[in-house]
Amino acid sequence: VDLTELSEAQDRRLMAALAAGDEDAFRGLFGRYAPTAKALAMRVVRQPHMAEEIVQEAFLSMWRHPDGYDPSRGTVRAWLMGMVHHRAVDTVRREESQRRRADDASAGLRDEVTDHADDVVEHLQRPQEQRAVRAALAEIPPEQREILERMYFDGDSQTTIAEATGLPLGTVKSRTLLGMRKLRASLEGMER
Amino acid sequence: MSRNHDRIEELLAVRALGGLDGEDVADLDRMLADHGDCEECRALEAASTATASALAMALDPLEVDPAMPERILADHAAEPEVRDDLAARRDREGPRWLAVAAVAAVVVLVAGSLAVIRNGSDDPPSNPAQRLVTFEGSDTATLAMAFVPGQSGVIFWGEGLPDPGQGQTYEIWMIEDDEPISGGCVSPTDGRVAAYVDADVTTAEQMAVTVEPASCPHDAPTGEIVLSATL
Repeated sequence: VDLTELSEAQDRRLMAALAAGDEDAFRGLFGRYAPTAKALAMRVVRQPHMAEEIVQEAFLSMWRHPDGYDPSRGTVRAWLMGMVHHRAVDTVRREESQRRRADDASAGLRDEVTDHADDVVEHLQRPQEQRAVRAALAEIPPEQREILERMYFDGDSQTTIAEATGLPLGTVKSRTLLGMRKLRASLEGMER
Repeated sequence: MSRNHDRIEELLAVRALGGLDGEDVADLDRMLADHGDCEECRALEAASTATASALAMALDPLEVDPAMPERILADHAAEPEVRDDLAARRDREGPRWLAVAAVAAVVVLVAGSLAVIRNGSDDPPSNPAQRLVTFEGSDTATLAMAFVPGQSGVIFWGEGLPDPGQGQTYEIWMIEDDEPISGGCVSPTDGRVAAYVDADVTTAEQMAVTVEPASCPHDAPTGEIVLSATL
């Protein structure tokens, strides 16, 4: 049993307890994922107060509607980060904050670390996974990685990316799929 | 593998990253509905969401207000949930996975609904419990919904719907106590839409359709109501 499996098993136990109304389980999941959730929200919306609000909404939703989690559709982390990401993307598109972010749209992950150095906290329990994901991202061909990052971290839609890059929409989608497959294969390889 | 899942995998990958828009949103929902209770579809979705969520782990965690968890618990205790299960459904991400039985029921509903709509017939639906509601607000577009009160599942079918425009889609709203709750988005192909929404609209008072940005669903409508129906 590797660390990832142990972590997922612990998440499932906490989620089951949370669904039964266990406040400590809620605090446990909050402690495990709220800092990453805020980093994700911040990366997309780029506004601390908005990011904090998104995190609060997502965890409130989790507390109120734990039945929304379906184990057959993925891990607790994937579900939670999906809620955060969905809200962040929805917010950034609604607020048209692409305009505010235009100047640094090309900033990469390392730039983001520098941008928010004051907010960065210690990597508590997942520095190894962070390194693994960054290494996996680095292995993806640049033309695929750019699309993945624009979609996930900048909140750009496939249509927006196609228009901005001049690529056919079909190419954007196929590169997305190839990049995701490559990323998944790299991460699985690192876990073994 | 008995079915080709390449297209589904591609669209699931884009959706997991938040990039799916336009007609592909409805295309994916339709393909997933066509596949019904599809184990491989679920596996592909789980893989896509897991991979996408792994990207978040590349970021440096940020400090969160330490009082937030207690604030959430306290707020929830002070203001118990008043929204109904429609709101709960809105909070869930992605489409519902249709059980085989649900798909079969949908086919029956669609068949009955199409016959009534196309013929302009006043004949009662084939299922006596079924309700058929037509939307108003357009001289050229036809939109109708069929559902069985008390049961989850609504069929929308329409034709003559104008293209909502680049990067935009039609969003269906269920309105109860003046609170709109998104029922999902549909994009017409050649003016036609056929969509299944896994929701119980029994307690809704009105239905409405607005034109919204392609990212879907939204918390509240921003566009004008183009079609509406009173239940």
